[in-house]
Amino acid sequence: MAKLDILEFPDPRLKTVASEVKSFDIHLKTLIEDMLETMYSAPGIGLAATQVNVHERLLVLDISEDQSCPRVYVNPEVLSESGEQDCEEGCLSVPGIYARVKRAESVIVKAQDPTGIFFEEQLENLHAVCIQHEIDHLNGRLFVDYLSPLKRNMVRRKLEKQRKVAAQDAEEHRLI
Amino acid sequence: MRRQKKVLQNPRIAAIGALSEVLDTNKSLADSEALSRLRDSRDKAFAKNLTYGVLRWLSALEWLAKQLLTRPLRKRDRDVKRLVLLGLQQIWHDQTASHAAVYETAECARLLGKAWAVGLVNALLRRFQREQDSLLSELEQDPAWHAHPPWLLAEIQKDWPQNWMEVVIANNLQAPLWLRINRQSADEALLREELQSAGFELSDHEFARDAIRVSPAAAVGKIPGFEEGRLSVQDPAAQLARDLLNPQPFERILDACAAPGGKTAHLLESCPELDLTVLDKQAERIEQIQQNLDRLGLAAATTAADALLTDEWWNGKKFDKILLDAPCSATGVIRRHPEIKWLRTSRQVDAVVETQAQLLDGLWPLLKTGGILVYVTCSILERENNRQVQLFLKRCIDAEVEVIAQDWGIAQTCGRQILPGETNMDGFFYAVLRKSS
Repeated sequence: MAKLDILEFPDPRLKTVASEVKSFDIHLKTLIEDMLETMYSAPGIGLAATQVNVHERLLVLDISEDQSCPRVYVNPEVLSESGEQDCEEGCLSVPGIYARVKRAESVIVKAQDPTGIFFEEQLENLHAVCIQHEIDHLNGRLFVDYLSPLKRNMVRRKLEKQRKVAAQDAEEHRLI
Repeated sequence: MRRQKKVLQNPRIAAIGALSEVLDTNKSLADSEALSRLRDSRDKAFAKNLTYGVLRWLSALEWLAKQLLTRPLRKRDRDVKRLVLLGLQQIWHDQTASHAAVYETAECARLLGKAWAVGLVNALLRRFQREQDSLLSELEQDPAWHAHPPWLLAEIQKDWPQNWMEVVIANNLQAPLWLRINRQSADEALLREELQSAGFELSDHEFARDAIRVSPAAAVGKIPGFEEGRLSVQDPAAQLARDLLNPQPFERILDACAAPGGKTAHLLESCPELDLTVLDKQAERIEQIQQNLDRLGLAAATTAADALLTDEWWNGKKFDKILLDAPCSATGVIRRHPEIKWLRTSRQVDAVVETQAQLLDGLWPLLKTGGILVYVTCSILERENNRQVQLFLKRCIDAEVEVIAQDWGIAQTCGRQILPGETNMDGFFYAVLRKSS
């Protein structure tokens, strides 16, 4: 297994719309394992292939605290949604930023498992938020896109500042 | 999606994460990432305490949970199970645990994405509050009460038929914080004054003359004198190695398995003019020793090497003294590392016994005639200690046991065994072997 690099906002590659997974082979299996490892070490509760610069319709989730419930969705599709919830979200591609986003409370999703078998599943609460967030990635959309332009600009400036500080720290470290 | 802030910073959720790191991935509790992610220092202390408590009492808590659950939780709900254990531990051992604590614990199920379990956890913990007395007296009749895995309990009972109960009790108590004064750099009177004015209560040890106990226990960063290298953290039992080696100027001494370097540093603090060879198998552990020596203002030649592969590090000059602080089961330091109980297996002990025998056999030829080898473990198991040395003496004709003329520990045929808790020490075994002509 290998840990993959995660693309960070405003990287234009995050806007790519992913294409359908067609072959359920060993490469897919390896990618799934690597994505789970990357998600766990982040630490995240969901990761879309787009975030690791693979533009195929694949995402992994695990909201458990002990890595006990990994779930894999290949070619996921929302069949129906109901209710509304307002939940604080953060994203591995937008480090350090949290914001509230309105989402459906419950969704019914159709997807394929790693061997290509179709299944349908109803997800609720945090699970529902998480899968909607990840499917957005596959469509080139980030949670910050739901914020007002003003807020989104604040996020951009905050991230730039964070990167500057990190770069300075690294530079100082090098000098020492 | 990133884990939510309110989840990441929740001390109980972090404790569940730490339990998972230790029990599912065999990580040491001291290296827990889930605990280190907590930003609030009170949350961190609370979560750490709770995690240690659960690991200390694991089998007893599991027994209680089993009595209180109407049916067992599914394997994929082990996070909920661990949440239950946290709640039980808090009610059982923390006198201040209130209804608010039960509520907070139950609400964590929601943060785990398992809202269905909120009611279950709440009802279970409230029932424990009501029925605590009768459940606990029932628990006292069950072996789970000792909170040791069956193989280890049986072995302690076999090895220490007179004292096993005290050993088990001591293993389940929190260990005190013991420091060692660096005699090279510290003015003892001044240091004591500084420690006292920082609010610590001090006490001495009956046998280890460089040891000071400070209470309440605190992080090393908060102890005056630590950063400048005037102090180290070390149990008095480990400080006795120096007395047995009794290092003299210019003696050629081998410290064969030195990491993390506490005993190494103690030797140099009492006699800096030693010709000391410091080895450890792992390079990153050698780095740790070096950092420790640097902090203490001491110097020694350290080498990352397997002591048994003498071609790689030995120049052929024999040693006056050898310190063999052998890899061991660490069953003597369970009070500091309760996870050892659940991670260690009897088979692993077999393997480490084999390594100890190889080290004794392999290092013995490196010792001068008339020289001594001090064999140390932080184990309380006969097969790593007295039995190990007995078997070595049978194999080796020029080795003799030196009687350890000290008042600590229990005299064995081949050394002295300190059991955990004795004058507030960790469990250690010492044997002194002299090479006869």
